[in-house]
Amino acid sequence: MSKFYLLSVVEVKKETNDAISIALDISKELYNIFSYKPGQFVTLKFTINGKDVRRSYSLCSTPALEEFLRIGVKRVKDGLVSNHINDNLHIGDTVEVMPPDGRFFASIKKGNYKTYYLFAAGSGITPILSILKTVLLTEKRSFVYILYGNSNEETIMFKEELSDLQKRYSGRLILAHTLSKAKSSFWPNKKKIDFLEGRVNVKNIRWFINEYPPYAQNSEYYICGPDTMIKNAQDVLMDMDVPKERIFMEYFGSKEITNDTIRGVINAKLIAHLKGERIETEFTKGRTVLASLLANGNEPPYSCEGGVCSTCLCKLKQGKVRMHKNLSLSKEEINKGYILSCQSIPMTNIVEVVYE
Amino acid sequence: MTNQKKRMHVLPVEAYTSQEWFDLEMETVFSTTWQFAGFVEDVAKPGDYISVQAGLNNIFIIKGRDHRLRAFHNMCRHRGTQLLRAVGKDQKAITCPYHDWTYDLEGKLVSVPKKEQEFPDLCNKELHDCELNLHEASVDVFKGMLFVHPDKDAPNIMSFFGEVESHLGPHIVEELVEFSENNEPAYYKEINANWKIIVENYIDHYHLAHLHEGTLNMYDHDKAQFGWKGPHYWFYEPLVPEYTADLKNASPYPLIDSVPEDKIGAYVPWLFPNIGITEAESTWTTFHVIPTAPNKTIIVNRAKSMNVSEWEYTKQYGKSALSKVWTKYGNKGKYNGDPKTDPMSSGDFMAEDVYACEQQQKSLTSPMFSIGARAQKGEYAVMRFQEEVKKWMEAHGAFDK
Repeated sequence: MSKFYLLSVVEVKKETNDAISIALDISKELYNIFSYKPGQFVTLKFTINGKDVRRSYSLCSTPALEEFLRIGVKRVKDGLVSNHINDNLHIGDTVEVMPPDGRFFASIKKGNYKTYYLFAAGSGITPILSILKTVLLTEKRSFVYILYGNSNEETIMFKEELSDLQKRYSGRLILAHTLSKAKSSFWPNKKKIDFLEGRVNVKNIRWFINEYPPYAQNSEYYICGPDTMIKNAQDVLMDMDVPKERIFMEYFGSKEITNDTIRGVINAKLIAHLKGERIETEFTKGRTVLASLLANGNEPPYSCEGGVCSTCLCKLKQGKVRMHKNLSLSKEEINKGYILSCQSIPMTNIVEVVYE
Repeated sequence: MTNQKKRMHVLPVEAYTSQEWFDLEMETVFSTTWQFAGFVEDVAKPGDYISVQAGLNNIFIIKGRDHRLRAFHNMCRHRGTQLLRAVGKDQKAITCPYHDWTYDLEGKLVSVPKKEQEFPDLCNKELHDCELNLHEASVDVFKGMLFVHPDKDAPNIMSFFGEVESHLGPHIVEELVEFSENNEPAYYKEINANWKIIVENYIDHYHLAHLHEGTLNMYDHDKAQFGWKGPHYWFYEPLVPEYTADLKNASPYPLIDSVPEDKIGAYVPWLFPNIGITEAESTWTTFHVIPTAPNKTIIVNRAKSMNVSEWEYTKQYGKSALSKVWTKYGNKGKYNGDPKTDPMSSGDFMAEDVYACEQQQKSLTSPMFSIGARAQKGEYAVMRFQEEVKKWMEAHGAFDK
């Protein structure tokens, strides 16, 4: 899975002042390898300043149409890769791309009859847009209700595409924008776009669901945005009796530098079972399972390095670890011993993990 | 009398008279289909609930704070006591009146009095992991109507009704309001006939021009179109030209404005197995058939019309009363008897139908009874409906033994 393929850039489209979307061509031979479910991401690899860096970007295209793979990339302040892509990527360039992956997706089926509540903030719209389009195209009777938060009118990614979809699917798509710092002075005709004020927060989510109760009673809830937004959305949904099994979420946003001051055990031994091989090495000082294995010359699976995508998932067989950040594993999974190797530092003298 | 079983068009006569067959239908038709449960506004607010009998199952529908409806079998997992009565409001949890076992709105068991002393076996686990949560059922909405299905993994409602939907009236039901006095339905009556007799009467095109020659003659029966989509029947007929010409005045109630002018008429589908709708120019009515015994059936009609002021209704009533259309159409009895005592002289089409159904049921036990002949087009639906019932029963194991 962790193999990279060279794909060529066939379109670069400016979405807002600080975001572009990029279309990637998939040759026929790669078609199956690059098949995906709406909500999943691809991992791109670049060599910047002589160093290999990887970043995961959610696909905003839909697998329901035969179209190019498309990702949306918003500049992150001081972000190494997002700025590189926005500044330097052009049509005709090739990029190294790992096939789609990720556990955040909707299982969309032709005969389904559901109501999909989608909550997106900022660039969190990308996987949500893929889900939205795929539902409308595939499930002819399902409904999509989306609440989309941005800071102002000018930072709304895919604004036109969304408003076109709204016209085309007016009976089945409800779209509400919310803006936290609306530039109303730039919008002399206020009625032109109706929006709520504030973030995708408790108050707005509650209002949205009360205003738009589900028509099809089998409803699901998808959330994508920064972690406070996810936490708020999850809390308010649970408070409104939404069962946990119906809520799906994906952390999205700038990669935060961890403030974790705990260093982990020094000179701890690391045993890893990877692709049928038993590897024995030592933790690099202060580093994670993943970083230590990479330093040892091994090739464990990984992609986002941010505790989000869970590509680097492995199971703890011996010892204890501490995860700096975990934005994807559930309590149940942690109880079963699953850890994110990109986030785990040793808390015992020996740590043994198995990649399944 | 011969031993050979007598037949209606497809089903044996005993399908209309015997308790055994009735029980089979309860099990294999009414407990295996989406069953009408009311209108969406019956469960309007979070915490509101209703309970309905759907075949052998009593099911309640309750709305969560997320405005999503949940359905559960109305039965405590302890001793089986019914949990909730017919309707209620603002429920935060569901408590059994018998021993106060309590469930949350997801149907999970959350409290059992004297748990430690009386149920030591349940102690090691969380209550909701004790496999004593309420049995889930399914609930969904179709055309503003609530439907329940006893199976929590029932095929979704649009896979059942989706195909027939485009043949129903263009009425936007959600915009209409129910008219009822004292919260009672527009019509409620127990009828001495098997439920299928009533359905067959509803979908019988042949009788319209005859039984109802003086009551439903404002519709143009000769121009009727009808057919089947899966197990469901659809029917449409336009108004007679004279009614159309003076429609704005003659209509007894304000016209339903979601129906475009060129689509006005009577849409009268039958949704399998036991709910009909009459979608007309100024009213939209459900016709719910509830079997209670082989020869007894309750009919409940609920009617909706335009959401406009009382004054608009009064004005329309005034105009309608003056319209010449009604001097010729719509309210004459078939016979010239006493309209108060003779349904056939009443000028009321419901009374006419009830009369015909009960009169047919009476003959079913006669040794001389048989179906003489079938109108090829006008009674095709009667035969087809029996086929659908038989097919459904077969598919659900009714005749396996």
